[in-house]
Amino acid sequence: MANVLDLRRRIRSVKNTRQITKAMKMVSAAKLRRAQERAMQARPYAQMLINVLESLVRRTDIYNEQTGEILHPLLIEREEKNVLVVVIAGDKGFAGGFNSNVGKAAQKFIDARVAKGQNIDLEPIGKKAIGFYKRKFPAANYEKTEEHYDNDLAIHYDTIRHRAAQIEVAAEHPDLLVKTEFEAVSKLAHSIIERYERSEIDSVYLVYNEFKSVLQQRIVVEKLLPIVELGVHNVESSQEPTQEERDAAVLAAQSEGISVHVPEASEMEEEAKKFGTADVDYIFDQSPERLFRHLMPRYVTTVIFHALLESTAAEHAARMTATDAATKNAGDLIDSLSLTMNRVRQAAITKEIIEIVSGAAAL
Amino acid sequence: MAETTSNSGLLAVRLVTPDRVLLDATAEAVELPSMSGYLEALYGAAPLLAELGAGEVRLHGGSSGDQKFFVAWGFVEVLPERVTILAETALHPNEIDTAEAQKELQEGQKLWNEAGDDGEKYDEANAITRKAEEKIASAQGKRS
Repeated sequence: MANVLDLRRRIRSVKNTRQITKAMKMVSAAKLRRAQERAMQARPYAQMLINVLESLVRRTDIYNEQTGEILHPLLIEREEKNVLVVVIAGDKGFAGGFNSNVGKAAQKFIDARVAKGQNIDLEPIGKKAIGFYKRKFPAANYEKTEEHYDNDLAIHYDTIRHRAAQIEVAAEHPDLLVKTEFEAVSKLAHSIIERYERSEIDSVYLVYNEFKSVLQQRIVVEKLLPIVELGVHNVESSQEPTQEERDAAVLAAQSEGISVHVPEASEMEEEAKKFGTADVDYIFDQSPERLFRHLMPRYVTTVIFHALLESTAAEHAARMTATDAATKNAGDLIDSLSLTMNRVRQAAITKEIIEIVSGAAAL
Repeated sequence: MAETTSNSGLLAVRLVTPDRVLLDATAEAVELPSMSGYLEALYGAAPLLAELGAGEVRLHGGSSGDQKFFVAWGFVEVLPERVTILAETALHPNEIDTAEAQKELQEGQKLWNEAGDDGEKYDEANAITRKAEEKIASAQGKRS
């Protein structure tokens, strides 16, 4: 049996761990609050953008009258031969099943698509996802070509993709989650749109953790391109957390005083819903077709931006829950160790008394 | 339509960015950098939807006095008593990092040189250059 000194040392070490996890939980709670706030504040812009787009759709013909052809490339549905999957995970671990759950959902989707004979491009966001996929799959091979003609007066640049494997990692974005700035997301969106427009990929899916509130969160596989319906999340499949996970999350949130329900729409958001929808005939400064063309990439950017913000909030919530559980476990462990230690000490004392008593009796 | 609302003569102006609502104020007049040139909206203006280019949004009069904001790409909805600006980038002139803008300018010029015969790339390069130029102009306008 362990001696008192060893047990005391172990208790001290577990106490230290408990302090750390407790601090981590508090930090995660603060970060979650900020992430939730950020997601809320980003909503009016997205809402307004969707409104403008919708009113433009009503005003312009996105279909060619004669042929019935769709005029914007991002709306055209093609046969899915090459599928891009954007997987959003976290930069750090210690967040319970957050990273692995997203990975599992992505794997399920990829397996199903591979079985259909489709090629998969992966675009991981977050260090955990990047590390995982980079080890498993080869990077995509791009060749840049330059064609000079007219005595070097004109140069034609082209990018050619050489596909070697069925599953490849097209690009990785290690720093996107550090601050999640709109401009950086815009670059990502444009690179995806460019690949889509030159038919390197035929459809784009996002795999991420949707987070409306602590109670309302799930992992979704969402179709990003082609756009099926504006302003509607086109969810392919989703995975709800188990009741047990949900209870743990709620407990952790309540202990930090975080509301578990969806925050109410702000006044600004209500106002945002009216943007561009007043019952008047607007004068258009530019042609609606042109506006529409300029707006579509922005719309795609906001969808990704939102996915990133929600995923970040979900990551902090998951870490808060995980560290809360760790803190509780540490507490339990300390209790049981203290009990053992007291028992051992008592046993030692009893043993000494017996020795003394029996020694005295022997005299 | 303007007669139906209160005749305060002030426009409610809102500036919304992807991150947050940057400004919620009133003004007598607002100058807007539309894609096809600057336009000014006064109280009772005709309803208008316009795409914004890079430039300065200037507010005159109203609750918080004259104010300027640098914006790059966005949308504006003008209603008789309300102006809502949707901007992808919006900065207070004080917040502009001139060195950063210079770098962006060079980047834009580099892209322009590398665009080859791709029309879209030229447009993109021009957009970046224009944004950087306007940013620098906006920052300098503040100093003088």
